[in-house]
Amino acid sequence: MIANTERALRDRALQEALSRAVPVFRQLRNEVAAEIPEWEALRETAARTKDHTLAHLDTYLAQLETQVTARGGAVHWASDAAEACRIITDLARLRGVRRVVKSKSMTTEEIDLNPALQAAGMTVVETDLGEYVVQLADDRPSHIIAPIIHKSAASVAEVFSRRLGVPQQARPEDLARVARETLRAEFLAADMGITGVNFAIAETGTLVIVENEGNARLTTTRPRIHVAVMGIEKVIPRLADLGVFLRLLARSATGQRASVYASLLTGPRRAAETDGPDELHLVILDNGRTRVLADSELREALRCIRCGACLNVCPVFERAGGHAYESEYSGPIGAVITPALRGLERAGELPFASTLCGACVDVCPVKINLPRMLLELRGRAVRAGLVGWKDRLFARAWVFVMCSPTRLRLLGGLGRVIQRPLIRRGRIDRLPYPFSGWTASRTAPPLAATPFRAWWASHRIVAARASRGEDAK
Amino acid sequence: VSRDTLLARVRAAVLPPAAAELPLLPAPQTLDDPVAVFIDRARDLGVGVERVASIQEAGARIAALLAARGVRRAAVWETPDLVPALDRLRAESVELVGPESPVETIAQAGAGVTGAEWGIAETATVVLPSGPGRPRLASLLPPLHLVILRAGRILPDLHALFLRGGTLPSSLTLITGPSRSADIGSVLILGAHGPTEVIVVLVGE
Repeated sequence: MIANTERALRDRALQEALSRAVPVFRQLRNEVAAEIPEWEALRETAARTKDHTLAHLDTYLAQLETQVTARGGAVHWASDAAEACRIITDLARLRGVRRVVKSKSMTTEEIDLNPALQAAGMTVVETDLGEYVVQLADDRPSHIIAPIIHKSAASVAEVFSRRLGVPQQARPEDLARVARETLRAEFLAADMGITGVNFAIAETGTLVIVENEGNARLTTTRPRIHVAVMGIEKVIPRLADLGVFLRLLARSATGQRASVYASLLTGPRRAAETDGPDELHLVILDNGRTRVLADSELREALRCIRCGACLNVCPVFERAGGHAYESEYSGPIGAVITPALRGLERAGELPFASTLCGACVDVCPVKINLPRMLLELRGRAVRAGLVGWKDRLFARAWVFVMCSPTRLRLLGGLGRVIQRPLIRRGRIDRLPYPFSGWTASRTAPPLAATPFRAWWASHRIVAARASRGEDAK
Repeated sequence: VSRDTLLARVRAAVLPPAAAELPLLPAPQTLDDPVAVFIDRARDLGVGVERVASIQEAGARIAALLAARGVRRAAVWETPDLVPALDRLRAESVELVGPESPVETIAQAGAGVTGAEWGIAETATVVLPSGPGRPRLASLLPPLHLVILRAGRILPDLHALFLRGGTLPSSLTLITGPSRSADIGSVLILGAHGPTEVIVVLVGE
């Protein structure tokens, strides 16, 4: 994470792209959230609905399976990424599939589905505009809902000119038109469409897919086989619960009142219908999620509906960008679920990539307490010996000092003397070894000339005199 | 094998059943004038709203809208309630591409004409069920989508829609405005994969 962050901070194009796009997301979200007077109650309802579902997850998953099957769909269960990829490639191979179209799905990114299908000899085309650019550029998505938020229009034009022969000066609307025409031919030729799932309704066996472009609708309508991939946490109990989640999702994610398309798919095409897939397959994926479910401190992370709101308010994400997290899930939620799903030993740095400012909790539509879980994961990283001796020693010394007023007073007094030659223009730019690391990338504020305790003591006297009606002298 | 292993793992991980009750659902909003709210929100999305008195008049209005845009061919839904509108379109010599047509033909039509089952005031959403005579792609492939909606079918919000229950069709599509994307350089583009223009033809008071 650290090396990536340093590279990201030096990348001027990335910094420009992020500082243009991220604040816009934030502002739109705030405007439309404020329109709903019962917004806070909606968040509470969503959080409690998810908690209820997670507490009865076995029942709801079994009900979902029964209902999907009753509507003519097939349900497959995958313990991990490899099994999910095997199920889907086997399905495709058995049915003679040559061409696959996909709509944006972080879960299929998580299981690395595209390379698996390509290795099995199939052509795979991403059809979300952003994901299509990612695929053409051989890049990775950097935001849960805005995959190429790290790219400027000019760099997208460069990719299109290299891969599709489009003139370099092409404007975004020209690029979109070229993509639309190229991808429409792909839709018409494809045998299989693969999507993620936003919500799966246990009561009705309905899969809900939310999008703005229409590519997910094409992916689920035109090819003869539709395969949907979902993590076990995507199930919700009833159709009536969906309104709560759809209202929260669009407003939290893109700041729209509603996403352009929400498709509620209940089974494959029925008799006398002229379009829609012949076959519908649902792949239900674990891949570490049951471990998170069993973990009472981290389970709350499974409420996540992947709206990306926490990324857009995170000061670390806005500077470092999504790639720094080395995971398809970035930002505050990524810093929690990546180590939770993969294990701390493989992503133990991530929980430290946060200022714990708490902006993410305030916007989360399902009220996930991300800072609490980041702290919990930090504690676990320390106990697992994943944190260097310097940090541990410093933390221990900090605790020693902070646990005693006398020690704090003594150290403060000492510090005020030592810092004198270090202060330049009211701040400390460079601390001597072994604290030089602290000031390598930031300045330290000097200790105040008067300690707070002294200020407080004198104020209390002033306030007390005032309340007795005496003059404050 | 994986099914039982996975479900057993889930069962071992969940909390005891008493842990969390399902919360009460929010009640649908009560709106004095859902039609006015729908029209207002549609304007914010750039969705045109055409008000007509009858389904025949809807056909005439659609023919005029198509003529104004130089569109001669329209992919249409063929359901009993739309028949008077379709007759009118034929009379105005609009070439109709029916539900049985190959998808390539639907894709080449200049417009799609469909009928919404419901409208949602809060978001200016139209709700389109799939079914016989109702191809899903007629509302997606042509660059212009004209959707007929009865004013009396406008509900205040999504809660009102989903509380109605009933049997779901194989596909129920909620459509809110034209297809869009802001992926490239944060520039808003209409007509990413679907229509660039959506017009709601609102029938009745």
